[in-house]
Amino acid sequence: MGRLRVLIWKEFLELRQNPHLFGIVIVAPILQLTMLGYAATTDVKDVPVVVADGDRSSASRELVQRFEASRNFTIIDTVTTVSEIGPYLEDGSAWLALSIPAGYGADVAAGRPAVLQVVADGTDSNSTSAALGYATALVGGYARELLPAAAGSAGGIDARIRVWFNPELESRFFMIPGVLALVLLLVTANLAAMAIVREKEVGTLEQLNVTPLRRWELIVGKLLPYGLIGLIDILLVTAVAVFWFEVPLRGSFGLLLAISLLYVVSTLGLGLLVSTISDTQQQAMMTATFFFLMPMIYLSGFMTPIENMPTVIQWITYVIPLRYFLIIVRGIFLKGVGIEVLWPQVAALATWGLAVIALAVMRSSKRLN
Amino acid sequence: MNAIEVDRLSRKFGAFTAVDDVSFTVRQGEIFGFLGSNGAGKSTTIRMLCGLLRPTSGRATVGGVDVAGDPEGVKRRIGYMSQRFSLYELLTVDQNITFWAGLYGLDRARLARRREFVLDMAGLRGREHTLARDLSGGWRQRLALGCAVLHEPPILFLDEPTGGVDPLSRRQFWRLIDTLSADGVTVLVTTHYLDEAERCHRVALIHGGRLAAIGSVDDVKSIFAGRPIIEVRAEQPVAAMSALDAMPEVEKTSLFGTAVHAVLRTRALSIEEVRTRLRAQGITVETIDVVPPSLEDVFLDVVDKAQNARPSGGAAA
Amino acid sequence: MRTILAVTRKELRQIRRDRRTLLIMAFVPALFLLVFGYALNFDVRHVALAVEDRDASPESRSLVSAFVNSGYFDFVAAVHSGAEAERLLDRNDARAVLVIPEGFGRTVTTGGTAPVQVIVNGDNANTATAVIGYATSILQTASAGLPGAATVQTLPVTMEPRVWYNPELRSPLFLVPGLIAYLTMLMSVTSTALSIVREKESGTIEQIRMAPVRTFPFILGKTLPYFVISLLSAALVFLASQALFGLPMRGNWLTLTAMLSIYLLGALGTGLLVSTISETQQVAFQIALLVSLLPTLMLSGFIFPIASMPAFLQGVTHVVPARYFLIALRGIVLKGTGAFQLLPEFGALAAYAGVMLGLASLRLARERA
Repeated sequence: MGRLRVLIWKEFLELRQNPHLFGIVIVAPILQLTMLGYAATTDVKDVPVVVADGDRSSASRELVQRFEASRNFTIIDTVTTVSEIGPYLEDGSAWLALSIPAGYGADVAAGRPAVLQVVADGTDSNSTSAALGYATALVGGYARELLPAAAGSAGGIDARIRVWFNPELESRFFMIPGVLALVLLLVTANLAAMAIVREKEVGTLEQLNVTPLRRWELIVGKLLPYGLIGLIDILLVTAVAVFWFEVPLRGSFGLLLAISLLYVVSTLGLGLLVSTISDTQQQAMMTATFFFLMPMIYLSGFMTPIENMPTVIQWITYVIPLRYFLIIVRGIFLKGVGIEVLWPQVAALATWGLAVIALAVMRSSKRLN
Repeated sequence: MNAIEVDRLSRKFGAFTAVDDVSFTVRQGEIFGFLGSNGAGKSTTIRMLCGLLRPTSGRATVGGVDVAGDPEGVKRRIGYMSQRFSLYELLTVDQNITFWAGLYGLDRARLARRREFVLDMAGLRGREHTLARDLSGGWRQRLALGCAVLHEPPILFLDEPTGGVDPLSRRQFWRLIDTLSADGVTVLVTTHYLDEAERCHRVALIHGGRLAAIGSVDDVKSIFAGRPIIEVRAEQPVAAMSALDAMPEVEKTSLFGTAVHAVLRTRALSIEEVRTRLRAQGITVETIDVVPPSLEDVFLDVVDKAQNARPSGGAAA
Repeated sequence: MRTILAVTRKELRQIRRDRRTLLIMAFVPALFLLVFGYALNFDVRHVALAVEDRDASPESRSLVSAFVNSGYFDFVAAVHSGAEAERLLDRNDARAVLVIPEGFGRTVTTGGTAPVQVIVNGDNANTATAVIGYATSILQTASAGLPGAATVQTLPVTMEPRVWYNPELRSPLFLVPGLIAYLTMLMSVTSTALSIVREKESGTIEQIRMAPVRTFPFILGKTLPYFVISLLSAALVFLASQALFGLPMRGNWLTLTAMLSIYLLGALGTGLLVSTISETQQVAFQIALLVSLLPTLMLSGFIFPIASMPAFLQGVTHVVPARYFLIALRGIVLKGTGAFQLLPEFGALAAYAGVMLGLASLRLARERA
């Protein structure tokens, strides 16, 4: 135990002398979480619309007014003919073009069916489907208002759709816990990836290897101090998520803290493993970034749901710890679920953490071969 | 009892044999010099003896412990210091001492005693709170040595400890090694500074992974018994060298700075005779003397022999 | 000119010796495109649906079939209580629950209105919006097809949507160009970020400092080989995108090459600048990730639409080069946008490249002085 204690003490002394420590541990995570927290939204608001009003009647103006009043749309320009909308869509200044044919007002007044044309830029398929959905709903609602009162709806199905966990459908509430997990991963894995390989490059590792220090002591001696840094970051990013972005924390804070610590220990273990299999810092950085961080970001379900991926790629996601942690943080934050629901994920995470730490201990052979 | 016993030790890296069938023993309290050019196999041998590298074949014991069977047992009995000063640069002198003492499990009282010893030995009093990064080369090296002997190991391995240090610091460092040896510590030191080797009780010359000569400095010099060395200083050293080479009694020549060393096959050739023959060729001789063999002579001789004798190998002692 | 070539030759020789880096630069982008291109998908299909059918009539069964046959929903479980449904949603075993009330069949066959409930997991707002859309339209169709339903009243105004550029709204067409921009940026920045700092650490920079080489030719010479490799790698990625994901090419190849080149120059310049301001490889790598990986991922419009970000963050995106490159790339390949219209983007990218390469030269010149 004495050896482990001086190892940890030494690590803190070195950390204290690191001029970039404050930046890496405190500033970077907060900065990343706030920036990414604001950026990571798939909400579609203020869709820019160009109107080709071929009618110029009070009825057409009323319809345009409806679009203008909705918080989903912003009218950026009004032209006269459909042929004029091309450039707006081409350079991306408008996503939708609403075309009102000549005679629209007369048709509506006479009770003849009028057809509006909406042209959408399909480049951003995701935002476009949402925008089209809003437009359909808006036009449908407006049309029903125009119906004679007598023609009320007859029998059929009354669809009652209820949304749980996030009734306002705020994408932030889903994305920010994910960003939190991602930021923790970036900070801890990068820090740990450098930890042992740096001592290798400087030569102190060889000196450590001729002492009676045990392999697991070396790994644990790195894990604990960095774990404390991880804990600070957990508290920091959780505070930003809850108090700044006002993401509801419906579950237990204690549980969130405990599992986050488990997660951080496994990401640190991953970093240390990378560190033990690398000979130079450059190799460690390349390996960590390209073979661990990038696949994790894309395949964990952070960006796009895992259920949308092809089956083969879904299998790969099972070895990604971020996958499990994402389910856990989102579950605790949004659904308020506890360990009785999350235990399979927690077990997977713990297994994963133990496995990488055991691998790191095994790879950190005291013999050079 | 022998502190270190090495028996037919070999180490291969793939197809390359770094250490080839090396055997020797080091007695307790001895300063044993391990000499050779870069890549000769010195560091590989020392790493095997420290339990850092597994031998491919052969056996070695350090302090009576088998290095392959119980490397951790070896580590408790030895101190090790390598050419790269393995100190934590961001820790102070005091913190480095406390750290390494902690790894060797020194208790509080012993730490206090050894700390005083190291501070005195390395002359670091008054610099206890200086960061290791801010120490000059000589200080760092003495601190590194101090940290390597904190746990009072009976055997000390020094792998090119004086690389890149000024001559004055090297001299101070060797005085420390002498003191340790006087206290009964066995020191195995590798170096390619031949003046340092002269300070060893016994030396081993390693070349191409093989042991080429071993013994006291005088012993290894005795390969020149019956082969006197004459040192010639002339105005035209290159011409003098070829003239000497042409003489049948001369075995070989080599340039030592501006002087030419010639190894003679026989004592029969006198200095005066050589001077006369050189003058006959129009070479102005400034001085000509019979000199005792230096380790450099021995080293060059051994390398020559090893190269001539390939592949059957050099003369192992 | 001769000095540029001399530096280039030296750099090429060094790259050739470092096989691992060369392989990473040349093939990893294509490999990542393969995996991530398939993984990144917003198109919501196979929504896990649980059904609580309290009616068990032919009518209720045909409603369930309507959901399953739509192709959007996968039937995962029949539940018998609200608690059971809740558990499935909590565990992510179901994303939506369809609740058909008792007496549904009787009510709809007799011309009455029966409430049908759909509970949707709203945690991922994006997926939830799509699920709500699917459910609404299935229920509407089912309602209209019921024998007891009144003849459908034609609405006075209807909307006819038309989607340009990506009529099937396939999300790969949106995401793959983003992936191209991201991979090229990351590769170029990380490969050059270490190039000068490595020479600093090993001390060879001293020699270059003494050599009679002007700074700007030196910088250009260092950039050139990486430029060629990155360009080839980007071309490989682009061709793979066409083959694998059906990315169209509706614009001009020359315009695309020009855009890609100026974007690459900016990226390489960023890497060089990072390299000149860093003292160690570790710091260089951290900065490189901070300025290239995250902004290109989050602030370029790759995945998250810039229009939905808060105003100050939209301001920040103006200094992210991938923002301009993405507008250009998506414009060229999807819309066939011409060179003339993309002049502002080209200008922005050229300015960025100029600033980066200029700053890198300045920093290096100051260090040499």
